[in-house]
Amino acid sequence: MELGAPLDRVEGWDKVAGRARYSGEQRVAGVCHAVAVQAEIAHGEVLAVDATAARAVPGVIDVLAYGDAPALADTSDFELAVLQSPRVAYRGQIVAAVVAETLEIARHAQRLVRVTYDELGHDVELTPDHPGLYRPEKISPDDPPDTGEGEETPAEVSVDVTYETPAFHNNPMEPHATLAVWEGDHLTLYDSTQGAAAQRDALAALLGMPAERVRVVAHHVGGGFGSKGVPPRPNSVLAALCARRVGRPVKLAVTRQQMFSITGYRTPTFQRMRIGASKDGRIADIEHHVIEQTSTAREFAEQSGVVTRMMYAARARRTTHRLARLDVPVNSWMRAPGECPGMYALESAMDELAEACGIDPVELRIRNEPERDPDSGNPFSSRRLVECLRLGAERFGWSSRPEPGTRREGRHLVGMGVAAATYPAAARPAQALARVADDGSFTVSIAAADIGTGARTALTQIAADALGVPVARVRVEIGDSALPYGPLAGGSMGNASWGWAVLRACEGLRDGIARYGGAEPGLECRADTSGEIKNQEAYARHSFGAQFAEVRVDVDSGEIRVPRMLGVFAAGRVMNARLARSQFVGGMVMGLGMALTEESRMDREFGDYLNHDLAQYHVPVNADVLGIDAIWLDDPDPHANPLGGKGIGEIGIVGAAAAIGNAVHNATGHRFRRLPISPPSVIPHLP
Amino acid sequence: MERGETAVRAEIALRVNGEERRVVADTRTSLLDLLRERLGLTGSKKGCDHGQCGACTVLVDGRRVNACLALAVAHQGADVVTVEGLADGDEPHPLQRAFVENDAFQCGYCTPGQLCSAVGVLAEAARGWPSHVTADLAADGVELDEAEIRERMSGNICRCGAYPGIVAAIREAAGGGTAR
Amino acid sequence: MEFLRPTSWGEALAAKADAPGAVPIAGGTDVMVELNFDKHRPEALLDLNRVGELATWSEEEDGRLRVGAAVPYARIIGELGGRLPGLAMAARTVGSPQIRNRGTVGGNLGAASPAGDSHPPLLAADAEIEVESAARGTRMIPAGEFYTGVKRSALAPDELIRAFHVRPAEGPQQFSKIGTRNAMVIAVCSFGLALHPSDQRIGTGIGSAAPTPRRAFEAEEYAAGELDWAGRSPLDERVARRFGELAARAAAPIDDVRGTAEYRLHALSVMARRTLTWAWKDYLNGGATACA
Repeated sequence: MELGAPLDRVEGWDKVAGRARYSGEQRVAGVCHAVAVQAEIAHGEVLAVDATAARAVPGVIDVLAYGDAPALADTSDFELAVLQSPRVAYRGQIVAAVVAETLEIARHAQRLVRVTYDELGHDVELTPDHPGLYRPEKISPDDPPDTGEGEETPAEVSVDVTYETPAFHNNPMEPHATLAVWEGDHLTLYDSTQGAAAQRDALAALLGMPAERVRVVAHHVGGGFGSKGVPPRPNSVLAALCARRVGRPVKLAVTRQQMFSITGYRTPTFQRMRIGASKDGRIADIEHHVIEQTSTAREFAEQSGVVTRMMYAARARRTTHRLARLDVPVNSWMRAPGECPGMYALESAMDELAEACGIDPVELRIRNEPERDPDSGNPFSSRRLVECLRLGAERFGWSSRPEPGTRREGRHLVGMGVAAATYPAAARPAQALARVADDGSFTVSIAAADIGTGARTALTQIAADALGVPVARVRVEIGDSALPYGPLAGGSMGNASWGWAVLRACEGLRDGIARYGGAEPGLECRADTSGEIKNQEAYARHSFGAQFAEVRVDVDSGEIRVPRMLGVFAAGRVMNARLARSQFVGGMVMGLGMALTEESRMDREFGDYLNHDLAQYHVPVNADVLGIDAIWLDDPDPHANPLGGKGIGEIGIVGAAAAIGNAVHNATGHRFRRLPISPPSVIPHLP
Repeated sequence: MERGETAVRAEIALRVNGEERRVVADTRTSLLDLLRERLGLTGSKKGCDHGQCGACTVLVDGRRVNACLALAVAHQGADVVTVEGLADGDEPHPLQRAFVENDAFQCGYCTPGQLCSAVGVLAEAARGWPSHVTADLAADGVELDEAEIRERMSGNICRCGAYPGIVAAIREAAGGGTAR
Repeated sequence: MEFLRPTSWGEALAAKADAPGAVPIAGGTDVMVELNFDKHRPEALLDLNRVGELATWSEEEDGRLRVGAAVPYARIIGELGGRLPGLAMAARTVGSPQIRNRGTVGGNLGAASPAGDSHPPLLAADAEIEVESAARGTRMIPAGEFYTGVKRSALAPDELIRAFHVRPAEGPQQFSKIGTRNAMVIAVCSFGLALHPSDQRIGTGIGSAAPTPRRAFEAEEYAAGELDWAGRSPLDERVARRFGELAARAAAPIDDVRGTAEYRLHALSVMARRTLTWAWKDYLNGGATACA
């Protein structure tokens, strides 16, 4: 039984030896370097690009700009229509590129490119009463922006509060990099992407090429957290254009600073929560009104309100999403888009309701468990939130939680908080090929991506389990669009989608071997799960969890430290205990950053994110992460998919910031409704 | 005085992972770009080019430094060890083994820097260099408890959040606690 | 970009005189950020790594320590921690351990950023900066006069920083720094404090809370007068509090990405109060040094 075992990462030795090659690290003869020139205005038009001085630098091969760049076949997505129009929709937009023999020369020449603009006024600041707020046609991925059901009734207890979250940047450790190689009319792109096949399809469409002539390779990806999703980011398109133009392989590495404007981020939000309940804490009406931003380049409507549609029982509920279209960089996916900011608001409001009712926050959530999914009316495939809450409360020592603002230890105020977590558990169609290799071992191929999730390892275990052989006899090939189609790593759907196809391919191969009477080299089986997925029964499929946090607030400086966090999850069958723990804990660490240190600050005057580097955008460092642990229920969900897994990449961040915020309230007695909860915001409210 | 070339290229000779390397490079080249782009040693990673993430950490003359903040031409004759040079032949460095066994990484991009940094931590603790959290400044050796490791490893960011595994791996490689 | 590699101090001064635009580089931790980001493209770099004496320190006849501009923070921590405890405490919070292995006080002085961590302890300990030019020779600049504006110093274009001179601590010293993270913090603000028992005086240094690092003179004078140096009686809580208020009054902070002006004033008063409390406790215990 290989499934669930705490196997080492199969590519672990390559990673610790420095042998694992990420995008842009492949050795290709004749490679040259491209550097993007970015717009220095937030809104307007490029009047002229003067590249005279740049071209005069020895070693500069070419300069591309609007009017002097290869044409794209599809310019419908403005973000990706790189150099196809003079329009500037956000500061940092790519307006030119320098290609040179070396990176040093390219960077030097980049500074010499003179771009003149016709500057129009810009609007870059989201406010809760922005005059341009509108209702999008749909919210991501494909849901109605507004929902409403039931009649509002007078409530005995009510909470009506607004939470504010800033923009957050994904900041995977590997900046987006691309190596573009044209061979005749074939393009190979070594690209940091969460989905080689989807990336290939998107790029082929942009370039007006049949998909067979484009290949995207991403064997190792240095994190993504949504920022390397599909549609691609403009840097991938630019690399392809530069390489086509100069007729040589081109390497384009986005800098950390550039990532703050061209590789996506999470929208800031204002979220108004209204909850009416009876004195015993049963919710009568619940409302969640979301205000977010989108860029003028492309609409992205983050689905922050969807959690309120399915989380708790209520007689009436209403959710709305409104967007302001601003002259800002294109916001997109960041770990648990929708659920992450949405559950911060919902779970903070639940804490406020618990306080207003005088009910323990764990108990309040238990009292509002719905019998069926309030959104679809379908039964839940499984929903073990109550068990997570109870187990967590016991393990964390929840019963010792103090009354708000009452526990002082030396110069610290100490408190505890809880929040629930949830994330959808879906699967997308995929294909896989399982084959007996010449040496009698097994090769399983699928265009899956391992962005650090452990997918390569989990798929190896799934295959070995299905084939009934030790993992050492299975080799899984992923990260290449030339392999059988796999959807991208996103929405916590990767392992469910790929694993399902791998399972079916391996089951088929095992049957084939049995029929044939032996593992003859060359025997193979191809599986496609699209039919099975289409015919799935109607269930509401979600993972659940409970997050607990303890905080210590320095009464003098306002500094907040988190000595303990515990996450308890019910996320289906766990394929590899060791790697799963890393995923849960990793999400919680990101939630810690969201709660206390991370924030992208918009510069109103210039229209860009001010703190656009890792010195000023504070992701947690080792010293910030004290006692964080995650445990889970043994929770195979037969209605989720044949593997019983539900996806674990995102639920770890969901609810983490609310648990910390609720703990800060418990410690200080004051409710902070804006993230991050920083020392300057805390100080005025301390005793 | 030895005057550098007015042209932008200079010959740089240094020892990398025990091997003498001689390369003509742009004077603006960082040690990191020299390793990655000129010497084909892509194990050292570029995460920020700013000294703020630690993914480029290598050992120069035995001390851990950010290769992105080191100018290659200023390192004539330096002895550089990168992640590719940590193993002893086929035998992984104890830290490499501990990192795999403690799942001290996910995406792996910060890992080479974490490893080189951890090698530096063990050496610095053995020399008795105190850190910001060291209580007894007079002690000969530093006991590498969790707080010490966290503080000393805080120049290496891991966005995947593998810090608990990193701390456990270093504790294990340090022999359960004390490096002297 | 020209790369100058003097092998002696004399050659370095001559090169700087020839090319006043040349940017000195030792550890590189400040200069390389500028280079990598193409913020600043100097006509030449002046590599001081071959000027061996810059990476040494010595005891001078006047009893002070003379510390070469290119001695990295890690060596200040390791070799001078006992005699320059305030500076060593600050050095232990500079950037990351990797940066501390390369970064130098000379670089910090050259950059003259208000957020530089070495400035408060240098101010508190009455350090002097030794600078030199080929044309005019050596001059000594008291730390308090060295910083002239945001990222500006009293250094002339043809001058190089050779060393700083500072008396070994004769009383407790403290350093405190506040940031949002537990480590890898650019100071939201910082405070250095040194007790000088022999002349019954207090030295202070404020970081990140004014255009330049500066001392809190009023706070120094107030506390020096209130403290019971001879009788060694415990610190009155009201004195500590007042000291904190006066220290904050010396600052002129702004709002920026790292923090608000209001918070900086508050944090300064907290840090000043705390560091004085800790230092006085050390003094009563007879210790010369302590750590935060």
